Amino acid sequence: MPDMNSLAVGDRLVYPNQGLCTVTEIKTEEIAGSKLTFVSLVIIETGAKVKVPKEKLEKNGVRRVSTADDVKKVIDYLKSDSEKASLDWKKRARDNTARLSEGGLIGLAEVVKGLQVLSELRPLPPKEREQYNDARHLFVEELAAAMGVTPADAEDAFDILLFVPGKERPKRSIEEFQGMGEDGDELGMDGDLLGLDGDDGGGGSEESSSDEEKSEDGESEEGGDEDGDGEKKKKPAAAAKAPKLPKGAKPSVMNDLEVTAPAATALAENAPKKRGRPPKPKPELTGPPPPPKKRGRPPKPKPETTEPPPPPKKRGRPPKPK
Amino acid sequence: MIRIFTLDEFDPALLKQLTKSLYTAFGVGAEHSGPVTAPHGQQEPYDANKLLEAMPKVSALADDKVLFLTSRKLAPRKLASGEAPTFGLARYSAQRAVVTSVGIKNLADNIKLLARYAMQEIGHTYGLHHCLDPRCAMYPQWTPSYVTGDSTFCTFCRDTVDAKIRTTKS
Repeated sequence: MPDMNSLAVGDRLVYPNQGLCTVTEIKTEEIAGSKLTFVSLVIIETGAKVKVPKEKLEKNGVRRVSTADDVKKVIDYLKSDSEKASLDWKKRARDNTARLSEGGLIGLAEVVKGLQVLSELRPLPPKEREQYNDARHLFVEELAAAMGVTPADAEDAFDILLFVPGKERPKRSIEEFQGMGEDGDELGMDGDLLGLDGDDGGGGSEESSSDEEKSEDGESEEGGDEDGDGEKKKKPAAAAKAPKLPKGAKPSVMNDLEVTAPAATALAENAPKKRGRPPKPKPELTGPPPPPKKRGRPPKPKPETTEPPPPPKKRGRPPKPK
Repeated sequence: MIRIFTLDEFDPALLKQLTKSLYTAFGVGAEHSGPVTAPHGQQEPYDANKLLEAMPKVSALADDKVLFLTSRKLAPRKLASGEAPTFGLARYSAQRAVVTSVGIKNLADNIKLLARYAMQEIGHTYGLHHCLDPRCAMYPQWTPSYVTGDSTFCTFCRDTVDAKIRTTKS
């Protein structure tokens, strides 16, 4: 691909995120005593005019229109069963933005195909739907210029690969997107967002290793009353993981009868320390439980009097004297 | 305004239904502006690209959309990646589009499908691209589920086309 040094008026370039533009003027101007060469561009779709120093063209991501070889590579890429888009929305958004601005024609194809495959799993959120539309628009525009056909033919040329004629789009499952070297969270949320720290021993997350679970079991054996509910919840998970042990291997977790005092203390020492203030010891109850306290203000004590109570005051205006 | 020019004879009642569907979909006026004849040298199946280029000038304003309606076959287009079935073609963000009724069995009962084809091509003239939603009229026409859909847009395409029409008017 020829570089930006051999630019001429009338050449077609691609301005990232803006689309095709034409070089209208190349002029050397003297600014603050130094001579700079400016390239004037007109964005074909909107008619907007841009004036960029020639040295900054490449830095801004301006490039020449893709060649026939690039188009062939893109068609091969669209035909192939490429890797799926990331399920982590932050990573996906970052990658797609980078591809749109500096990925070239193949970058645009990656965004379009990635989001299209993702839409086969679930509908795209509005922001990504907009990004998909923008990417598709830029892709169609550049592909049409590179192939020398109308935009309608350019769009259909790659859409017959993405939407195969006579076939419905496949329904994707979440399993196809997992195993991409990430946490594979279904909601696309990081552990940080959910408030789960990897080094928090008391979290009891599903991702903790089997050793950690063992230590948690040991801890729960001698744990206080507070952990009773938690223990009940954790037990089925531990039981579900038990059959995963290899054949012939003895389980290293002791049952209730096998736990001896030294072993229990050793387990307690190995167990990760609980964070926060320890629970207060409950006082031992000897007598009957006190009656429940009444809430609210106590009633005023009545004054002891011997005189009869004064007659109740008549309300309203006193009668006129006759 | 959407102006429909017929290259072949169509039932006026059907054309009335079609204009009504287009008016509902785009929110701009739609009318049958009369018949036109196909340019010389065009034989069935028509090459849609050449047909759009060679069609004679019709009376329309700058922001009008012109839809040519034919009952003859449009030849599938040979593209770099394969052959694209062609039920219609449009000039993107421009004025002209062509749609065929070939392939629609019992047109009187299936005018909805013709309206769906027409909506897609006029949508292209407003700058819309193909959509991901199978219920949307902008979904690719060659997919099997396209014929069962309604003549409506999805929310995204509806909003986009509304915005385009507003900017065109102002």
